[in-house]
Amino acid sequence: MNYNAYETSYSSYGGAGGAGGGGFIPGDGSQTSPSGGKKGYAEETLRPVTIKQIQDAQQPSEDVFKIDGQSISQLTFVGQIRNISTQTTNITYKIDDGTGSIEVKLWVDQDALERPDAKREKLIENSYCRVWGKLKSYGNKKHVGAHVIRPVEDLNEISYHLLEATVVHLYFTKGPLSGSGAGTAAIAKTDAYGQQQDSYGGTSMGVGANSDELRGLPPVARRVFELMRTAPQSNEGLHQQDIATRLGLDTGVVAEAGDDLLSRGLIYTTMDDQTWAVLETE
Amino acid sequence: MSDATPRILASHLSNFQHQTVRMLGKVVQLRGDQATLDAGGNVTILLNRDSHLTVNHAAEVIGKVDGNLNVKVLASTDFGTDIDFEAANAVVEATHRYKEIFYDNQ
Repeated sequence: MNYNAYETSYSSYGGAGGAGGGGFIPGDGSQTSPSGGKKGYAEETLRPVTIKQIQDAQQPSEDVFKIDGQSISQLTFVGQIRNISTQTTNITYKIDDGTGSIEVKLWVDQDALERPDAKREKLIENSYCRVWGKLKSYGNKKHVGAHVIRPVEDLNEISYHLLEATVVHLYFTKGPLSGSGAGTAAIAKTDAYGQQQDSYGGTSMGVGANSDELRGLPPVARRVFELMRTAPQSNEGLHQQDIATRLGLDTGVVAEAGDDLLSRGLIYTTMDDQTWAVLETE
Repeated sequence: MSDATPRILASHLSNFQHQTVRMLGKVVQLRGDQATLDAGGNVTILLNRDSHLTVNHAAEVIGKVDGNLNVKVLASTDFGTDIDFEAANAVVEATHRYKEIFYDNQ
């Protein structure tokens, strides 16, 4: 309801809209912004952050901010309102999340301010809220231009948010988590942000069509299967001795893993009982 | 950043003497101007006039750790009865392990 007001004041405020990479506004499909559209949908991200990360963000050029070396566009964070100052064109909230504080400006028009708004009335000093917005810098001071500020109803959202911000930070600084963390080889390969959630959830095995069939198998059997799927081999497949050498495992352990895979119908014996090939299901 | 308030549990108190911290725990006892908060262990909280804590409710306390490892309240917020302390304690653990996004080195 306040989006129209936001859109107009957005472009007048420092004119940062166009170059920042599109004018994507969540939940605002009806409006065709002249600066938005084609450009930069791929670069549009919504990143959960702490306020310290915002304050520490690098600014290599006018409209570009980086956190952990990644350009940022939309941000979201959770914090406690410390101060509210109502201006003629915007409400400025000072938000503190324990890691730092920052000013958040929500642009509103006069009419909207005069109308009662149940959501806004819950945004009082010392209450917790979640903010979605874009980072801006004005005269060397950072602030966030908010699209939406809503009250936090379930306070567990604070824990959730801080853990989510940590996970995303670790993703960008240390790379994606691999596999289920149960000693399996690194087989979950993710390159897109959207898929990363899965691998952090610890459920995605990243082995495509076979992930369901591998469920419940011991880690060793998964490693054996993964090797058999990927290693170069003839039609006869691989000998268990060869597999044991490549994985640095005891032959007995590999034999046991082979039994598991044979009984699931994932592999079959070829030359002899110790030579196995992957049963292609396609 | 000067206005950061590190999240801690009872076990961290001795490392944060004379600093302003943020603790989330369950109020186990109220007696006059003091309260006991269970934040991974019992902590004595010295209340101010604006503190409105309720026994068995979760509360977030921002306060200063004194020389006796008591916490003098600057601000407190009632967090109700539906707080997942396991998640909250995991947050504290994460903030100390991955300090770079939470607090400056002290």
